[in-house]
Amino acid sequence: MIKLFFKINLPILLIAAGLYGCVNLKTINVFSSTALESTRKFEDLEYSFKQNCLDNCHNKSITDLTLDPQICDCKANEKADSITLVIYQAIKGYFDGLAKLSDNKLTSYKTDPLSKPLAAFKYGSFSLDKTHVEAYSIISGILLRAFTDKYRGQKLKEFIIAGNDPIKTLIGFLDFNLSANLVGKLNVQIQVNKEIYFDLTKDATLSTYDKRKAVEEYYQLNDKIERRQNELLTYSKTLKKLAEGHQTLVDNIGKMGTDEFKEMVISYASYIQNLNSEFNKVANK
Amino acid sequence: MEKLTAEQVNELANHFLAMAEDLEAYREKNFATLLDKQNKQIKDLHQLILKFSDDFYTLSAILAFDEVQSSLSLIEELKIKMKITLQTLQDIQKVINIAGSVVTLGNAIVKIDPKAIAEALISLKDAIGI
Repeated sequence: MIKLFFKINLPILLIAAGLYGCVNLKTINVFSSTALESTRKFEDLEYSFKQNCLDNCHNKSITDLTLDPQICDCKANEKADSITLVIYQAIKGYFDGLAKLSDNKLTSYKTDPLSKPLAAFKYGSFSLDKTHVEAYSIISGILLRAFTDKYRGQKLKEFIIAGNDPIKTLIGFLDFNLSANLVGKLNVQIQVNKEIYFDLTKDATLSTYDKRKAVEEYYQLNDKIERRQNELLTYSKTLKKLAEGHQTLVDNIGKMGTDEFKEMVISYASYIQNLNSEFNKVANK
Repeated sequence: MEKLTAEQVNELANHFLAMAEDLEAYREKNFATLLDKQNKQIKDLHQLILKFSDDFYTLSAILAFDEVQSSLSLIEELKIKMKITLQTLQDIQKVINIAGSVVTLGNAIVKIDPKAIAEALISLKDAIGI
């Protein structure tokens, strides 16, 4: 009877055990991998606090008509960059950890290194049947995976819940430094240019042609600044969605494994993917 | 006196920028009637206010560090825990590999095959990672 029970139910149990972990963790993996990819867009940002400081010095040299390089003190801006970088590294490390832990490849153990020598093992008249060894190897592989996936699932839940508040704070401050402070500095640059180019249009010593050239240059400069702001603001949208997605993950962690959970998380991942494409478009302009 | 937060300093930077914008708008609107001296005074003030605004934005970004310290420590702790979990799960494959190498070595010893023993020892060494 017991034998019959196992004969009928064991394959079902094994398949169920194997699938349970895979499906659950795949959703988390899709979200964390997308989050990691999006966070990494930071490295594609072509602007920084230090670059802004250097640009200001450069612009001042042009306005003052001086060929001597300006003494450019950008220490504070370098510090602002390094702080922003530390925050970015922490966020990247967190999502990298989640993505690696939720990757199903992690627990796709190869049992061949043990089953092959076992099948070949002979001691006097004692030897193991090759087909039995292979069958046990498959079963043990599936069970091993089921247990380790359950362990991974529990650990991931713990990490996601414990990481929610600090990761949201860090994402918030990375966003703040880029979209509120660096974008603010670019607004200052727009205002500086406005003053310089207004005076050029009123300069009686310049010809109308020179004035037109100055106006053209002014619009080109503004376009460049606005492009940089756009890039930063698009990245900011991604960061906001990322924090929102993480909160949704925590709020619904009890539903992990359900279709509702899967749909919710995947929709965040797709939205973030779209923002990544938007960022790529803005960055390549 | 309480220390200003990163958000408060950012607000201050925004106010200074708005002030500078208003001042420049006034200068442009009244450019024809302003004396050269007045024009220069407004420009100097405009540049000074913009410099303050720019410095405040930088300062705000620096002050953010004070406010993320505890979050940074918590995430660092989690990263270490994740690394340990990852290592534990990766070690399972290592254990399977070691067990396989031990069986291969046992097989070679039973057969008294010196070449196979030497090869099995190398494979065991690799599996253990020494």
